Amino acid sequence: MTLLLQTLIFGCLIGGVYALMSSGFTLIFGVMDVINLAQGCLLITGAYLSWWMWQRTGLDPLLLGVLSSAALYGIGWLLYKGVVARVQRVDPGLTLVATFAVAVAGEGVIALVFGTSDRSATPSYFNTSFHLGSLSVPKAQLYACIGALVVLGGLYALLRGTFLGRAIRACASSRGGAELVGIDVERAMAQMFALGAATTGFGGAALSVLYQFLPDSQDIWIGRVLCVVVLGGLGSLPGALAGAVVLGLGEALTSTYWDVRWTTAVPYMLILAILLLRPQGLFGITLRREGARA
Amino acid sequence: MIEMHSVVAGYGGGDVLQGLDLSVRPGTITCIVGPNGAGKSTVLRAISGQIHPREGEIRLAGSAIHGHSPAAVISAGIVQVPQHNGLFADLTVRDNMLLGGYLIRRDKARLRRRIAELEEVFPIVRERADEKAANLSGGQRRIVEFARALVLEPRMVLLDEPTLGLDPKASALVFDSTRMMRDLGTTVLMVEQNVRFGLRLASHGVVMERGRVLLADSSEALLARPDMAAMFFGSSAPPADPAEPEPGTGTGPGTDPQREDAHL
Repeated sequence: MTLLLQTLIFGCLIGGVYALMSSGFTLIFGVMDVINLAQGCLLITGAYLSWWMWQRTGLDPLLLGVLSSAALYGIGWLLYKGVVARVQRVDPGLTLVATFAVAVAGEGVIALVFGTSDRSATPSYFNTSFHLGSLSVPKAQLYACIGALVVLGGLYALLRGTFLGRAIRACASSRGGAELVGIDVERAMAQMFALGAATTGFGGAALSVLYQFLPDSQDIWIGRVLCVVVLGGLGSLPGALAGAVVLGLGEALTSTYWDVRWTTAVPYMLILAILLLRPQGLFGITLRREGARA
Repeated sequence: MIEMHSVVAGYGGGDVLQGLDLSVRPGTITCIVGPNGAGKSTVLRAISGQIHPREGEIRLAGSAIHGHSPAAVISAGIVQVPQHNGLFADLTVRDNMLLGGYLIRRDKARLRRRIAELEEVFPIVRERADEKAANLSGGQRRIVEFARALVLEPRMVLLDEPTLGLDPKASALVFDSTRMMRDLGTTVLMVEQNVRFGLRLASHGVVMERGRVLLADSSEALLARPDMAAMFFGSSAPPADPAEPEPGTGTGPGTDPQREDAHL
């Protein structure tokens, strides 16, 4: 019983982090109809940035995620303006190929800048836990999950309670209508894309503390992100949270009760199962625009 | 108010407006009528900055606005209520109203005051504030669209087929609300398929055909012309139109949404 409880706690904590990692992807799809395959690469970029700053300053890598997020906001803006917006004007369907190309090129750049060795940030609380009776709660996972939920809450509040958020949701609902109330749709789209990229700043910081990573780790992470959003329903922020917890629990239960080597297969098995059995996502959420509902 | 001179504009596949000249006087309701494909909605799109004329000029109170972005046209004082998807269906009525004041979003006091004023004129805005726009009936949506269009206190409102898809009761509400907009000091330029409805509502009428203005006169004079009857009603006398509401038969703009619901 203790082992089960322990596994469930671990799965939920990781699920919170997965939710943040997937939030940018699902929002970009929900608002812009763009499947951003570079999101895994952005996540690994965030991890490298946090790790690099942690190495040089010794500051907490999760807190450094704030700086990584700012950097990734800028990278996201450039990526949108330089690639996505241009390709969209030619053929919106080509954004899938373009973002895949960015991911491949980005992986090469990361390898050139940071090398190809395993990296991970190991702050003082790394590998330590809080103990509640016979249960232990790993500090790194707990802090990362709390941080992820705070960022997700902030994102939700931004979308619901600010003019930027309303403008983004208006664009998701009707771009033509948004223009007619004076919204600069191109600017709102760029801000949305940059915001989606910025979420990988803290997500990458959490990744740098919780996992070892390499430039090509992006392949595993884009798989997890896709699993989360397919589970929750593409374009839905609450759906991403629910999908992320399901994936976190699925991986934790698999590694505890089956074989840790099967853990990396769990996302793909879940994607396959959900697409065959319930393509609208576990929670019956429709595709587009739900992201706008945040 | 608005002057269009020799405007040539279209959508890439060809010019819809072919040297159009049009003038709208301040404080009036002007209704553009004409057969499908005449270019009526294109006139509104050209004014609102959604398409840019290839030739000609559009002036608002003497200042050129052709080639301006939609946001710049709104800043100049012209707001359009489109034919479809005017409201953001997934957003609440309150959020829709706030977005009506997007360009004055930093002046929170003014925005709050304007919305409060419009809630007095259009009570449905307050009564359904927390509901998603998607939950409103067609007529109620139109009223909220009108209210939203007035947040910025525009000099001119463009209405693109405001009664499209509405039943007579809701159309009557649109009729009263449009007059109310005019009474609040806003010039209205509208496009309407229902010719008798549009011309009875308007003070001035414009008949378009093949991207040009065929006739422009007071709406009374246009309604009285025998050739108008032949052109639009298929006989020498306009037939009774069961779908047409009489002025003032609405329940007031959004004062009784339940009652309106019952008719929709």
